Amino acid sequence: MKISVLAAAAALMAGACSAQAANVEFWYGNTGSVETAIKAQCDAFNAAQTEHKVTCVGQGSYEVSMQKAIAAYRAKNHPVLIQFFDAGTLDLMLSDAVVPVQDILPDVKWDNYIAGARAYYETSGGKLFAQPYNSSTLLFYTNKTELEKAGVTQTPVTWEEVIDAARKLKAAGHACPFVTDGDTWRVLEQFSARHGLPVASKHNGYDGLDAEYVFNTTFAAKHLANLVEWRKEGLVKLNVDTKAGNYTAAFNAGECAMMEGSSGSYAASAKAFEGKYQITVGMAPMYKDHQRHNTLVGGASIYVMKGHDKEEIEGAKAFLDFLRRPDQQMFFTAATGYVPVTNDVLDAINKSGEASAPKYATAAIGIQSMNQPRTADSRGIRLGFYVQFREVFMEETQKAFAGQQTMQVALDNAKKRGDELLRRFQQTYKGVKLP
Amino acid sequence: MSSDSSLFSNRWLPLILVAPFMLLVVLFFYVPIFQAFYWSFFLERPFGGGSEFIGFDNFSRVLADPEFWEAGWRTLVFMVIASSLAVVVPLILAVAADRKIRLSLPARNVLVWPKGVAGASIGVIFAFIFNPFVGILAPLNGMFPGIWAPGLDGTDAFITLIAAHVWGGIPFNFVILLAGLRSIPYTMYQAAAMDGAGPWRRIFDVQLPLIMPQLFLTLVLEFTESVTSAFALIDTITHGGPGGATTLLVYKIYTDGFNGYDLSGASTQTAILMVFVVILTAAQFVFLGRRVNYER
Repeated sequence: MKISVLAAAAALMAGACSAQAANVEFWYGNTGSVETAIKAQCDAFNAAQTEHKVTCVGQGSYEVSMQKAIAAYRAKNHPVLIQFFDAGTLDLMLSDAVVPVQDILPDVKWDNYIAGARAYYETSGGKLFAQPYNSSTLLFYTNKTELEKAGVTQTPVTWEEVIDAARKLKAAGHACPFVTDGDTWRVLEQFSARHGLPVASKHNGYDGLDAEYVFNTTFAAKHLANLVEWRKEGLVKLNVDTKAGNYTAAFNAGECAMMEGSSGSYAASAKAFEGKYQITVGMAPMYKDHQRHNTLVGGASIYVMKGHDKEEIEGAKAFLDFLRRPDQQMFFTAATGYVPVTNDVLDAINKSGEASAPKYATAAIGIQSMNQPRTADSRGIRLGFYVQFREVFMEETQKAFAGQQTMQVALDNAKKRGDELLRRFQQTYKGVKLP
Repeated sequence: MSSDSSLFSNRWLPLILVAPFMLLVVLFFYVPIFQAFYWSFFLERPFGGGSEFIGFDNFSRVLADPEFWEAGWRTLVFMVIASSLAVVVPLILAVAADRKIRLSLPARNVLVWPKGVAGASIGVIFAFIFNPFVGILAPLNGMFPGIWAPGLDGTDAFITLIAAHVWGGIPFNFVILLAGLRSIPYTMYQAAAMDGAGPWRRIFDVQLPLIMPQLFLTLVLEFTESVTSAFALIDTITHGGPGGATTLLVYKIYTDGFNGYDLSGASTQTAILMVFVVILTAAQFVFLGRRVNYER
């Protein structure tokens, strides 16, 4: 039944690829303003030189892109370059379907990338597996106009202050003080990283496939339980509680006053706010008395897939080189709000005289957030079937938000189901060593 | 067979004519099904390479997984409620449209239209219709805040799904049932009326028994189809949520296999679901099919 979709997708890929064999194909998953920027970069690359041609194919979402890549790889019709998102890192590292970029491009100064971006995508030997592309991190957005109307003049920095502000907003009649979608990346991964808490043992799986989830015993559990209480109090709203139906849309429309969101959504928010509200963007809130650590790099990176001839690889290298160029990274940051993660680009932005311009607003804060003191647990997530775990986590916590179970029970269940996924992953990749 | 040869002089021609279709069926049905059964005995890596034969381990794991049984139970509940309604509602409409009442002619036409709407489109429309802020039930929320919340309350989400499924099932079943009703000789009603049977009596004692073959057909098709056709609706309306309350087996298979890259687990569940549907259909034929009288 559903397998037939896979077969159909593979058949489609076969047709699509054979028609453009001479090109370097690049698959990406973004849509909206990010997709526009990606397409612009592809066009710019093709216009800048004649030796190589890159064909950029939008797949609609990271998940669909990965699904199709799996089908295409099995049918040997996969693209040369593919963008994958953070959660799929370990699946790809062990897939034997990709070549580490550092092997293909050994002469590039990879230590130009900030440590926070490297840590997520590098092997235990410090070799980068993928070239970070649209890097983001978690930031805290507020609608300054609405906050000031409620008498909050100082942008909140701690969770205690966020909740104080939310109470004032509510008292002033605001229907939606703080909004979140309860996404695993936002409420668990980034929260744990910046509070220095592990999500799983073995340093989030970096030290072996036999890791187990531990988030249900850390301070993150307390925070998630707090979210439930705050929602009952009317301070925190979920996607489904908003008219817009989606947290970023609700924030952008002015329906909600504060949100934790990816730096990648900055451009859309700033554009929506134009002439109506003032926006602030800062580092994600901490609990008082906790030391701030780095947030994780999110978004996606580009992998080079195996099984292509020399000419295609040369084209892929040229395109990766092109994307790393400071002017290209600056263009991409300005167009989307994604954060540049190489030091030379940060220097270039500082020298451009526009460092404080709104279009680079997320760059400095994002880097600052990712450059906070590191721990072994804030390097990243290296857990198998992690995409599926994110779904499990969402499913269980949704039940807690709906009042069907307490948050602690939800987290215990998510840990139990997550551990089963990890054990199955371990068994699936029996005898494979973490690179 | 003799009738075949009288139609086609060349004995290969019918085979050639049917070949393209058979090729499609083999390619997009039998091959994937075989693949699913094959993978269900292996631990398969998403990108291939290093798959390991593990016998019935996948089956014992899936059968011991409470999530699987919950999804299976939801599938069963959906199947019984949604398919029954998807037959009963068109039946009522067909009986009404069959009578000589005003608007019955245009109704016979209009009620077929939804057939042209794809499942995913139905999903998008119903997600809007049942939206708690702007949908038809929004005024209800105005009076009793939070009473209709398909984004939070699993039951509400389930009701939305069933409503969308029943609506989408109306045209086909309506056409079949109406055709059955139209084929009943008018003299039967006249005879029944002469014997003193009122309208209700005529429905239950004349019409329903005589359209049993059509009812049986729609019921069998609905039961088997409801297992898989809910996918498009779930994927557009609820995404299996809230809290997994609308994760039917078919959607669980999809998320496990395509979002979680667990090809073996998804294949195993596909195999189990296949066997279940085959058994269910067989049971319907054995227990219900025998009682259907095809003679008039």
